[in-house]
Amino acid sequence: MSFEIPIGPQHPALKEPISLRMTVEGEVITGVDIRLGYNHRGVEKVAEEKNWTQNIYLAERICGICSHSHATCFVQGVEKLMELAPPKRGLYIRYLVSELERVHSHLLWLGVAGHEAGFDSFFMYTWRDREIVMDLLEMISGNRVHYAINTIGGVRRDLDEGQKATILEGVATLRKRSEYYFRIGATEPSFVARIAGVGMLSKEQALSLCATGPVAKASGVARDVRKEDPYAVYDELDFEVATADTCDVLGRVVVRVKELLESYKMIEQMIKNLPDGDIACKAPRKAKPGEAVSRYEAPRGENIHYIKSNGSDKPERLKVRAPTLGNYPATVEMLRNGFIADIPLIFAAIDPCICCAERTVTLIGARNGQESVVRMSDLRQQALARAKNAPVKGNAVWPF
Amino acid sequence: MSDTDIVESLKRDLGEKVLELTNPDRRRIFFKVAPADLVAAVTVLRDRYDCAFLSTITGLDTGEAFELLYHFASPVTTIHVRTEIPRSDPRLPSICPVIPGAVLYERELQEMFGIVVQGIPDPRRLNLPDDWPDGQYPMRKDWHHVRPEEVIPGGKS
Repeated sequence: MSFEIPIGPQHPALKEPISLRMTVEGEVITGVDIRLGYNHRGVEKVAEEKNWTQNIYLAERICGICSHSHATCFVQGVEKLMELAPPKRGLYIRYLVSELERVHSHLLWLGVAGHEAGFDSFFMYTWRDREIVMDLLEMISGNRVHYAINTIGGVRRDLDEGQKATILEGVATLRKRSEYYFRIGATEPSFVARIAGVGMLSKEQALSLCATGPVAKASGVARDVRKEDPYAVYDELDFEVATADTCDVLGRVVVRVKELLESYKMIEQMIKNLPDGDIACKAPRKAKPGEAVSRYEAPRGENIHYIKSNGSDKPERLKVRAPTLGNYPATVEMLRNGFIADIPLIFAAIDPCICCAERTVTLIGARNGQESVVRMSDLRQQALARAKNAPVKGNAVWPF
Repeated sequence: MSDTDIVESLKRDLGEKVLELTNPDRRRIFFKVAPADLVAAVTVLRDRYDCAFLSTITGLDTGEAFELLYHFASPVTTIHVRTEIPRSDPRLPSICPVIPGAVLYERELQEMFGIVVQGIPDPRRLNLPDDWPDGQYPMRKDWHHVRPEEVIPGGKS
């Protein structure tokens, strides 16, 4: 007998409105339906009525965590349409902010993953460290969330020597702390056992469902726009694409920790090789008719903007595809055949109060529909027995 | 493989099907196919060019026709397949049998442009609400948002 559990769109455990309908048999999820649109604002339509400069700020407001990603992706495309070559110093500062944003986003995600796995001290550590990078971003741009540092043809604020030194100092601290997270798995095997084997997504599935970002990288697909389609400064930087081959939540944690270290490397390179000169060039008000495809590696994966211009000061069409949308078909596969208790880990934004809300002493057999009344203590015994027989989890090893 | 090699081999592999092939920028290859050849072209891209990754599908309203752009990425380049369908008869074959990850983007095309994607595995709406009126397609150029007049229950006091 199967049941349908609706989660969202408004649920105390959800941070954003989305509706998940889980079909469950016993405790095993057999089907997932994701319904979107509770946050649909019609940004693409609005963009057709705003001019190029106004659209930077509109694009920045598509997302709150990777705001710089959308603004940069849009600006890159418009610069291509206007045939502008922004000065090197401006580009370095722009992509420096990009990497700092990636650091803040990954630290945030690691904290949430730790919290959902029941490892709250990890959550508190990473979020404490995230404040360091948030302070750096505030120092560079004046804002903690919407940095508004991009402009068509460069950036709006310059860096001075003191700020450069502060960034290097902050990154050195963060690197030391991140290396400590590397060692955590070895000293805290229960954390590794909790996340290993959860939310499996095979390499073939990741490829066929067009998964992107750390989800694909954790399934052994080494795809990164910064490497494949190096935009702006990335062909001058030395870095590697982080991958893992465990195909589960453990792999996704590993990829993010590795990406953190790669980002620190890139930040240091950019600060040390920061060229002199202007930070922006003057942009025309209108763009020639044409089209541009702009790709950007956001913290969550590939971000793509398609911009078409008709010769006026407004775009004819702006198409935005954020990485999370691309990952939804893969999320459905990850949740399938998992347990209700793993939903929060896999979805990483849902609190585990869903599973504890459904307490019962009447059990209905999932396959035969037979009812049996048991005592709470028996139920606990059954749960313990099942946890004991759970497959392979005990052998999970921390890969560092 | 460089862009010029890919352009040459695309011409060889697809032959008559390729209508306009351009390479305006590094790692940006655009070509056009007829809607009937779309699935065949996508299959060739997936099998021979390692283009199984569909970034998204862009729909464009040009006034007389709908233009669609399928943005594919391979590890070495990006290939953008363009096709055009008449506005009076907007029907399009689904590419989901070849690229299963395309379903969300095809659902978006259906609700935003009123394009009928034939053979789509899941024809429901993606973003628009359930009570959205039929026949209203917001991304068409002739659609404009009209703010409904605010009704205050009980009238203004």
